[in-house]
Amino acid sequence: MKGFSRIYRNNPALFFVYVILFAFFVFAAFASPQFRTVYNVFNLLRQAVAFGIVGIGQTVAILSGGIDLSVGSLISLVACLTSGIMIGNPTLVIPIVLFVLGVGILVGLTNGMLVAYLRVPPFIATLAMSAILQGSVLLYTKKPVGGVTRGFMFFANGQLGPVPFAFVFWVGLLALFLFLLRKTGLGLHIYAVGGNEEIARLSGIPIRRVKLAVYTLSGFLAALTGVFLASRLGIGDPLVGQGFELESITAVLIGGTSLAGGRGGIEGTIAGVLIIALINNILNLLNVSGFWQWVVKGIVVIGVVAAYKEKE
Amino acid sequence: MREILRMVNISKHFPGVKALDRVTFSVDRGEVHALVGENGAGKSTLMKILAGALQPDEGEIFLEGEKVSIPNPQSAWAKGISIIYQELNLLPDLNVVQNIFLGREPRGRLGTLDYSAMVKEAESLLERVGIRVPLQALVKNLSVAEQQQVEIAKALSLNAKLLVMDEPTASLSETEVERLFAIIRDLKGRGVTVIYISHRLDEVFRIADRVTVLKDGKCVGTYSIEELDREKLVRLMVGRSFSETFPPKAQETGPVLLEVRNLTVPGVLKNVTFHVRAGEIVGFFGLVGSGRTDLAKTLFGLYPHYSGEILVKGKRVNVTSPRKAVAEGIGFVPEDRKSEGLCLGLSVKDNCLMAVLDDIRSLMFLDRQREAAIVQKFVADLRIKTPHLSQKVRNLSGGNQQKVVLAKWLATQPDFLVFDEPTRGIDVGAKAEIYHFMRDLARQGKGILMISSELPEILGMSDRIYVMHEGAIVKEFGQGEPVDEERVMYFAAGLHVGR
Repeated sequence: MKGFSRIYRNNPALFFVYVILFAFFVFAAFASPQFRTVYNVFNLLRQAVAFGIVGIGQTVAILSGGIDLSVGSLISLVACLTSGIMIGNPTLVIPIVLFVLGVGILVGLTNGMLVAYLRVPPFIATLAMSAILQGSVLLYTKKPVGGVTRGFMFFANGQLGPVPFAFVFWVGLLALFLFLLRKTGLGLHIYAVGGNEEIARLSGIPIRRVKLAVYTLSGFLAALTGVFLASRLGIGDPLVGQGFELESITAVLIGGTSLAGGRGGIEGTIAGVLIIALINNILNLLNVSGFWQWVVKGIVVIGVVAAYKEKE
Repeated sequence: MREILRMVNISKHFPGVKALDRVTFSVDRGEVHALVGENGAGKSTLMKILAGALQPDEGEIFLEGEKVSIPNPQSAWAKGISIIYQELNLLPDLNVVQNIFLGREPRGRLGTLDYSAMVKEAESLLERVGIRVPLQALVKNLSVAEQQQVEIAKALSLNAKLLVMDEPTASLSETEVERLFAIIRDLKGRGVTVIYISHRLDEVFRIADRVTVLKDGKCVGTYSIEELDREKLVRLMVGRSFSETFPPKAQETGPVLLEVRNLTVPGVLKNVTFHVRAGEIVGFFGLVGSGRTDLAKTLFGLYPHYSGEILVKGKRVNVTSPRKAVAEGIGFVPEDRKSEGLCLGLSVKDNCLMAVLDDIRSLMFLDRQREAAIVQKFVADLRIKTPHLSQKVRNLSGGNQQKVVLAKWLATQPDFLVFDEPTRGIDVGAKAEIYHFMRDLARQGKGILMISSELPEILGMSDRIYVMHEGAIVKEFGQGEPVDEERVMYFAAGLHVGR
């Protein structure tokens, strides 16, 4: 109990969001016997991975005082490119993955340059980028395109014993980015730039390089999500990424990261992602219409963010 | 070589303003050198150039006899120059250690942060400044004085030879100022040169060895402290004598305008009872935490859950929101004009009309012509220096910004005005103007409650003085009652209780 109170004092928001996650979990476990199966829990975690990966990038962008609205279209673009070029050819898997991740990095770099050097506000720069990318995807294909190899599908659908490989991959990614944000200079500088850009500048932090890094990371992670979705669905859908930008922002906000930047972190986003996955999963199991999921998620965001404000 | 710094013929233009005009400025090693001047005189601009935060249009900088260029803050640090800005440059959501080393964290292998090295060095630095703050504490949980000491520790960690402090005492209590002065003397003893920017001239006389006066972007001269007195220094800064600053006090006062009985806000105010008459300026003095600003905010409806009575012209009123306060004829010129008084990105006109939009619109539409006429009158009456009415207030000097706040409340035609620190951070010339406006308003029959942490201002302006301590009024000095700074401070510090 003493440990709990210390966690609470150091970071009440984080403590709060995990309490909510736990409450949702308990509710779900009581509400549905199907929910309680190991199979379902791992399935839920597998579903969480797509949002989980892009959510990491969104957290980084928002922590730096920005936002990345281009991730949804970028995911669609990458998914289509991956499956559209691969068309079932196993020898192409590695070059294609490297290529599409490169595309993600390039898009992110462009966003970063727009924000850092041309000083386009992040909201506008990435919104415009989103339009450009979505248009490009639809010019490339209007229908789901291509196909992936069986081996490639392991990334999203494979198992390590009972554990989905994708989940293990996500955990590794989380560890990597937790380390980046908490233990490296770049991480600290992202918090500093988001906290107060002028102070960061006067402290000698290379703010433009930090922003460039932030959007590049976000682009890379969105591309990774696109690869993941191509692997999961086996095909490239030009609209598969739709809504990921807002859903990832939702997860970040539920996780207690401030939209103003400089406060919060991936620790919270993990809970945010899991809460959303839980809501989707339990409402599916209870045969509630998908549209209700939107309503519930909206209410949860408002409730949680209002509660954070109250605590401040 | 005695001279550590020489800045020669420094000029800097901003759009529409010549901030610095061929200023030459020289500082000797190991001295405390005060830089004074009215707001807009160019002190901060000159220091930002020294710190690498701004680039001069022309001019040269010599450090220890060598010509240097300072293209960015890092370059200034490398040369041993550190600046502590008035608005402290700390990140509230990072902890003490992270803030001290921000931008130049020691790295271990793989570019990871070497946290243990940071903690170790931070401890020894804080020891040198003589403060005890938990290293893991988030900066937002520290007091302003502690935050400032963290900044000093940060400067020391940069091996600063030349430390610039911009208005360091602006939000410190008396004891904290003493502590700061002790630290400055200690730094001086270690051979650190300090450039000290302040509006508070008494502090300049206490701490400085030499004084450089800037006026309108030009250097008036450099003087050793012995050849100056207060009057002379003010004259150099503004070209008029100090004794003219305060207007004469009220000859007679009218009926009671505002009466407050047993006003209590749990944890903030205790049984506060006082009154303000028409035509009277009533001063409230108290140290930080005495509840003086909370009192003002309560009167303006910002603490709706008060108990006790507030009577305006003998009628009991419920001021549970600023809107109601305005409707009762109360105006509030807040302590921090930038965050509470003005919308910095809006124009002079919009700010002036902010509180009266309901009154001047016809049906739904704003009557632009009538607006301009109203604002034009205030700009002329208050002598607000602005190129045009649509100038953003962000671009005005502090004194003119304060006048815009005043205009905003005068537009509501209030009977009663609360001024919280009316002259904080504004220059001596604008101060005198504000004082005269306040007295004029009183003469017109308005009641004025003035809160200030500057004793000369309280004594010079108030017809009566209330002293607050820990949320309660502990002493009233009536009209004509003998009063001096020491007696006021005696009560404000709570020395009358006990013994």
